[in-house]
Amino acid sequence: MAGRRAALKAIDWAAFAERVPANQRAMFNALKTRSDALSARLASLPEKPPTIDWAHYKAAIAKAGMVDEFQKKFSALKVPEPVDTQTAKIDAQEQEAAKNTAEYVQASKARIAQYEQHLQKLKSMIPFEQMTNEDMAEAFPETKLDMEKNPFWPHRPIADL
Amino acid sequence: MLSRLVLSAAPALLRSLRPAASVGVLHVVRPIHTSQQRSAPVPPLPEKGGEVRHGLIPEEFFQFLYPKTGVTGPYMLGTGLLLYFLSKEIYVVNHETVAAACILSVIIYGIKKYGADVAAFADKLNEEKIAKVTDIKNNAIKDLEAAIEQEKKEQWRAEGRSYLFDAKRNNIAMLLEANYRERLLTVYNEVKKRLDYQVAMQNLKHQKEQDHMIQWVEKNVVQSITPQQQKESIAKCISDLKALSKSAQVAV
Repeated sequence: MAGRRAALKAIDWAAFAERVPANQRAMFNALKTRSDALSARLASLPEKPPTIDWAHYKAAIAKAGMVDEFQKKFSALKVPEPVDTQTAKIDAQEQEAAKNTAEYVQASKARIAQYEQHLQKLKSMIPFEQMTNEDMAEAFPETKLDMEKNPFWPHRPIADL
Repeated sequence: MLSRLVLSAAPALLRSLRPAASVGVLHVVRPIHTSQQRSAPVPPLPEKGGEVRHGLIPEEFFQFLYPKTGVTGPYMLGTGLLLYFLSKEIYVVNHETVAAACILSVIIYGIKKYGADVAAFADKLNEEKIAKVTDIKNNAIKDLEAAIEQEKKEQWRAEGRSYLFDAKRNNIAMLLEANYRERLLTVYNEVKKRLDYQVAMQNLKHQKEQDHMIQWVEKNVVQSITPQQQKESIAKCISDLKALSKSAQVAV
């Protein structure tokens, strides 16, 4: 009877649903329906089966000893509990997910730092009215004209104009 | 040459202009380049050039002469100079003078009539360029901010992974529990079925025995009614009936 009372953790499906991104919604719905089906099935089964009225049967059945034998065998019977094979796998999955999440968060933070840096640069730029061409090339390096490669005006291939 | 005056006067002007101009201007101290000597910060270009009168003579000249000669001083100087050049024939009036007069008058007429429009047009071109680039910059800023928001949201989403695993473990627990209960129920049902079967069998046997006995007794009784007894019983029945009918007649 040791593992029987594995406590069922209350799950806040609403909060869970909030965190699901749009592309995984189908999987979430499938999980939810499965969960609901299982809990419905569990609720429909009684916790203990009704007890057998041995006295009545002892009185009713004429054959001597049969009911006693049944009773003895019945109370001696141990119904084996179903063995839990999957929880270990789930735990392993959880560990892996934690690791992946940590990695993702790390990468995400790096990206955010990059974005912030770029944002800072853009926000602290001098206004365009006061820029010279040099300043423009400094602020937006991609607009810089390559003087060595194209020494003659307009300093870029005609097709790029 | 006159522009040098402007340049020398520009710092003084700028110093007086700067408080007004700095209201809308972002004053950022640029890093000092070690390779070039530059004064930092580079001031913005002034909006308008130096004031000029009659399109040629800078205002500073008039201001310079004002204390000594008043308002008409520079004009008197100009007129005097002109008359001197003409009378002394330092400037000779010839056909080029006429040509210059015609050309200048046309030019001046053109500038006076269309000057403002052309200036507005040029300003518009410049503004469009700046607006385009400003748009690009603003869009870039917006995109970056949206991207940052998105990343933060995704991080928040990833935090919710515990829900998933709790749900999975719950499912497993529910499944195990349901299976166990099902097994108990099966055992109970089976045993009950067997016991009930025994009881039912017994009842059936009793009933069959009873029926059989009743039938057998009936059969024997019917058999035992001999023809003699039958005649006697029929005669008794008839006499009974006669008595009954007599009593019935009397009753009526």
